[in-house]
Amino acid sequence: MGHSRLKFLGMVGLALMLLAACGSSPAPASKTFKIGLVTDIGGLNDKSFNHLADVGLEKAKTDFKIQGDVVESKSGDDYVPNLTNFASKKYDLVIGVGFLMQTAVGTVSGQFPNVNFAIIDGAGTDKDFNDLKHPNVESLFFKEQDAGAMVGALAGLLEKGGKSKKPGHVISAVGGISIPPVNHYIAGYKWAATMEDPGIKVLVGYSNDFTDPAKCKNVAANQIASKSDILFQVAGGCGLGVLQAAGQAGVYSIGVDADQKDADPSVIASALKKVDVATYTAIQNVVNGKFQGGALTFSIANDGAGYAIDNLTVPADIQTALDDLKAKIKAGTLTPPADIPA
Amino acid sequence: MAASTATIGRRPGPRWASAARRVAGGFAVPLGSVVFAFLVGGLIVAVTGGNPFAAYQGLLCGGLGIACSTTTGENPALQISTTIVFFTPLLMTGIAVALPFRAGLFNIGAEGQLLAGSVACTIIGIKFSNLPAPILLPMVLLGGTLAGAVWAGVPGVLKATIGAHEVVTTIMLNYIAQWLVRFLIVGGPLQAANGFSASSPIGAGAYLPLFLPNDNSLIIFGLPAGVYRVHTGLLIGLAALVIFAILLWRTSLGYEIRAVGQSPRAARYGGINVARTIIVTMLIAGAFSGLAGAIQIAGVDHNLTDKYFNDTTGFDAIAVALLGLGSAVGILFASILFGALHAGGSVMQADAGISSSLVQILQALILFSIAANFLRVLRLPVFGQRPSAPAPTAPAAALMTEAAKAPPVET
Amino acid sequence: MNFLSDIGHVLLTADLWRATLEAAALLLLPALGGVISERSGVVNIAMEGMMLTGAFFAVVADLAWHNPWLAALVGIVAGGLMALIHAVVSIRFRADQIVSGIAINIFAAGLTLFLVQRIFGLQDVGHVGQSELLPYINIPVLDQIPFLGRVLFQQNVVVYAALILLVVVQVMLFRTRLGLRIRSVGEHPQAADTAGINVFAIRYGAVITSGLLSGLAGAFLAIGISNTFVPNMTDGRGYIALAAMIFGKWTPIGAFVACLIFGLGQAIYDANSIIHVSQYLLSMLPYILTLVVLAGVVGRSIPPAADGIPYAPENE
Repeated sequence: MGHSRLKFLGMVGLALMLLAACGSSPAPASKTFKIGLVTDIGGLNDKSFNHLADVGLEKAKTDFKIQGDVVESKSGDDYVPNLTNFASKKYDLVIGVGFLMQTAVGTVSGQFPNVNFAIIDGAGTDKDFNDLKHPNVESLFFKEQDAGAMVGALAGLLEKGGKSKKPGHVISAVGGISIPPVNHYIAGYKWAATMEDPGIKVLVGYSNDFTDPAKCKNVAANQIASKSDILFQVAGGCGLGVLQAAGQAGVYSIGVDADQKDADPSVIASALKKVDVATYTAIQNVVNGKFQGGALTFSIANDGAGYAIDNLTVPADIQTALDDLKAKIKAGTLTPPADIPA
Repeated sequence: MAASTATIGRRPGPRWASAARRVAGGFAVPLGSVVFAFLVGGLIVAVTGGNPFAAYQGLLCGGLGIACSTTTGENPALQISTTIVFFTPLLMTGIAVALPFRAGLFNIGAEGQLLAGSVACTIIGIKFSNLPAPILLPMVLLGGTLAGAVWAGVPGVLKATIGAHEVVTTIMLNYIAQWLVRFLIVGGPLQAANGFSASSPIGAGAYLPLFLPNDNSLIIFGLPAGVYRVHTGLLIGLAALVIFAILLWRTSLGYEIRAVGQSPRAARYGGINVARTIIVTMLIAGAFSGLAGAIQIAGVDHNLTDKYFNDTTGFDAIAVALLGLGSAVGILFASILFGALHAGGSVMQADAGISSSLVQILQALILFSIAANFLRVLRLPVFGQRPSAPAPTAPAAALMTEAAKAPPVET
Repeated sequence: MNFLSDIGHVLLTADLWRATLEAAALLLLPALGGVISERSGVVNIAMEGMMLTGAFFAVVADLAWHNPWLAALVGIVAGGLMALIHAVVSIRFRADQIVSGIAINIFAAGLTLFLVQRIFGLQDVGHVGQSELLPYINIPVLDQIPFLGRVLFQQNVVVYAALILLVVVQVMLFRTRLGLRIRSVGEHPQAADTAGINVFAIRYGAVITSGLLSGLAGAFLAIGISNTFVPNMTDGRGYIALAAMIFGKWTPIGAFVACLIFGLGQAIYDANSIIHVSQYLLSMLPYILTLVVLAGVVGRSIPPAADGIPYAPENE
């Protein structure tokens, strides 16, 4: 090797080093995003959407650099103060869980236009429940009726084919309180079941409670006595009593919001509402600078709602029918109603 | 004996000394109880793996706006305003429980009476929503007061005429009121048009004025003015306490109430119409509670919402009345304490991660130490009775009896 | 008036009455406890807190040891310990018994919620397996009787226990020497003391017993009727039991009648899937009914004379 070659290599090497040094400028200090989550009165152990929202927050904590704080509202009086606390501390995102908080989110988001808000199951509204459409509020809506429809179809198909435990063309649903998120589920359920099994009778009862399983168990027991052999619980923590009643009576039950297959062996399916996915998405949007006011709808089309089969081997023909229905709902050819059909 | 009402139960000596002693002594034990409770509560937190200092800092900051840490950035003015909004209704519901206690009645129905007031206020506020403030506001407040009075009057009449125990009747009416609220706003006549579990809002004329204008462009203490929700209901509540104190200690009705509470039999012999006193006491108590309910709607919510499905103001009022030893000043401080604990609990959870159930534990501990300590240790006159040691009466508990028997007086 | 015929139909079903008896039994246990406690002179409004405590610890024990009987025992003892606090505060410290009772209720609510979050964190409290619950037992032969068989003999084991306890407590209070002692302590503690009865022991025993019974009710609710613990799951039943006790004039049988009224109302309400009237109006039924019966029939309820007055013997 001649001198000149070494020198050339040395120049190349130097050039490469300089290039490398220029390329790797010190990374900018990454910001820790502050996320505040305000649950509604169901609390974090509601086995339902408050819990799921927190699951989404926890997952975001592992994936992103965020500080996540949670406050449980003990009563409706707490919504405004809890939201205001986070907003006044200039959190990057304040998440309200549940449509009971709509007016609170509407009020506080108006006071803090520079803070981002997200609300699950609702919008920031005024006292008349008109959407105020504040640009700093992201609404995370769910089409619970999509999920309800899938499990309703399953129930209808099982009844029609005589494949349920005590087939008699009677199924039922137990709601917590007669509020829109609950009724959306039931609407889809009834619609799809009637579509698959036209002779079916769908009983609907309310426990007026989201927490006490004994109450829902009794309502369910009444429905079972009226010959229902597939019971859909739409009552959060209370609804676990429905699952239990079904198990004790030897009939089928359907869980809600999260996959409840471990709650009771009688659970054959769960209507899924992916609140954790929605929460995670909202946080992700903020972290990526993509937060946008307006509504995000989670439905079966974007996998934000869905269903899971539990503890049951579904016959192939029923599975085909379910897949078919899912495709139709996704495509928009069939649309489950939001209000319970008569 | 022509003893004036103010001398019953008073120790000998100049009046100011006795009053000063009463006030000072009145503070010492409840204060000691609060300290005791916080110590035990801190222990519970520490033992279960939490940080008691962070927890208490959260409580103090959230409740009273003091010791707020700069890292978390709470705004003290905001916290204080939240506390005030929380304790305002307790002032009146505390009276609603304390006044009947004086007459030997246990009003466990303050919650139902409050709901009745809220419902009445909402109905009037919606139906007459076009009326201007000088007319509508007094109407809704009056309506709420009357509704609450009726809700308590029924148990009062039942007790006075046939002796039906007020604990049973007021509990029943609590439930009836709660279901009435549900009936009205879930698919019922008051429901806001879009099918949500809340009523339409009341007319703007029924709004209780706020202390600070609800103008978000105005920045006060660093935050938009609208976040400070303190409303003039506070003034009404404070006035209510004054009225309560005057009523109890400076009117003949107050004398009759206290006499009936001490011994209905003796009161009857003394010429007091016990039945009438019972009814009037319950009516007034219900009125205060109903007023609180109306004020909540007119000052804070402006509509009837599903928060009332599990509202606990009327039950907290029982603890407030007991903690406050049934006196106006006591109720004031007990209400502030409960309001501060309520507000502080949320901040505690947000900052220190301690569940606000700790707040309930603290409340219980305070009540326990109040109950166990004060009479024995300080032998203060309670509810106007002579201190008698070592067997003091337990006035509140004795209310379950038809005739409160005075214990043997020991010296 | 469609709903009247709906209600009529429902009233003719054995299932409704079975549910009534079950709900009544759940209320009866704390009510019996309250009767015993107050008959001995200690006001006890802490049934709600004692029941809730029993429910929580029964679930925790059942999840840990998978044995409903052991778990029920744990629940019973837990209720008894809560009652012990009330007993000590009320008897030893001669505190205001209403304050103490309210404090217990608040304490239990806060403590159970606190422990749920400390022990289970964000996880579900967990469900007790079907086989690990307090069982429903059909009594052979008798359960085949039409209608009554379903109502009376296809119940949970705790319901049978409650009915037996009803008889036991009624007889004990009014027909045995122990009962006489309890009642005399509640009416004239000074005289009872002079007659050589240990007032404090009787009162402690009575209050703790009320805790044991309430704890059993809590266990029944949590691992008999339900299969998990939910914060505040007792939902005011303790206060209903209190009302039942007063309504029943501090007698077990009287309290039971009140419990049946409430149980019936609850059972009718639970049938709202098939009764076509506003469920809210339906749910007011038991409370209105109680008021009416109280006003029309029951009238005055006079408690034991020394109820609520801490005892201070003259020679202390």
